[in-house]
Amino acid sequence: MNRQGGTGPGAGPAVERYLAEIARLLPGPPRAHADVVAELRSGLLDATDAHRSAGLPPAQAALAAIREFGDPARVAAGFRAEIAAGLARRVVIALLATGPLVGLLWVATAASSHLGTRAGGPWPWASQSPGLRVGICLVAVAVGITAWAAVLGIATTGRLSRWLPARPRRAPTAAAVAGFGAVSADGLGLLLLATQLATTSGKLSPIPAAAAAAASLTRLTLARRAARRCLAIRASLT
Amino acid sequence: MRAETLKGHLDGILLAVLEPGPRHGYAIMEALRVRSGGQVDLPTGTVYPALHRLERAGLVRATWSAAGGRRRRVYQLTPAGRRALDSERTTWRDFSAAVTAVLQPAPPVVSSP
Repeated sequence: MNRQGGTGPGAGPAVERYLAEIARLLPGPPRAHADVVAELRSGLLDATDAHRSAGLPPAQAALAAIREFGDPARVAAGFRAEIAAGLARRVVIALLATGPLVGLLWVATAASSHLGTRAGGPWPWASQSPGLRVGICLVAVAVGITAWAAVLGIATTGRLSRWLPARPRRAPTAAAVAGFGAVSADGLGLLLLATQLATTSGKLSPIPAAAAAAASLTRLTLARRAARRCLAIRASLT
Repeated sequence: MRAETLKGHLDGILLAVLEPGPRHGYAIMEALRVRSGGQVDLPTGTVYPALHRLERAGLVRATWSAAGGRRRRVYQLTPAGRRALDSERTTWRDFSAAVTAVLQPAPPVVSSP
């Protein structure tokens, strides 16, 4: 009755079909939920043992175990919400961890370039072009939205989640908002840098500017991908 | 008792089952059946996502164990889980006392002339 080929010790074909159906309904590549499937398999084997001890022959015991575990769509739906929350949590933690670093590189760029050296004070706002000032304000708004959504994401996926009504879409929504907020902040930063290069390139310090641009470009790419994954997983939740 | 009836209390029930000591998923389900006198009968497969949610919330800790030749994920309460269980108990006592009091047949109203 044992299936060969690494599907798991002792699970029969009916159990493996049931597990494959659940795995098919989970987001991401099979290796991402190998642990979930392994845990369910060991539970199904335990259930099969229990039904055999109660007197059923092996094949019937496996079918009884499958019946007892319930509709694969329902089991998968429960895990989808969990996988979504886990993904959302990783995304917002990554955004919160990298945000200050990328921000510092931009501050260093601004401080070491003409922004900081002209007109005495470190932040001579009045002497800047209106476009740059508006741009910096927009970046600040994008950073604010990102931070707010990321903190919300942390709160709804951690210990606080116990005190909140269960709404599976909340965490991936917050993470997607945070992700696209980061994309906006990084994109705006790069746009401002490009306009500065085009108009007043001689006043930029090249090394901090290059480092900030590289950091923002990397983060933009990764945040965009992560936000899209969050949206995709959000769409699969009911 | 179906899943809908238990909604909102499943977390507390799972924590209570883990209070005496660590258990794996299927043992949790069996303990749930025994302790409820067979009244709690959820689809076993739905207990696993609930356990993962408790783990993410920091109320239980899970480790893989290979005792008896089968790899199982074993769950145990964390200190936060014990505190959550205490508060679930208090909430449930207050709630059930209030509902019991209200659901009791009221004494007949004696209309005064």
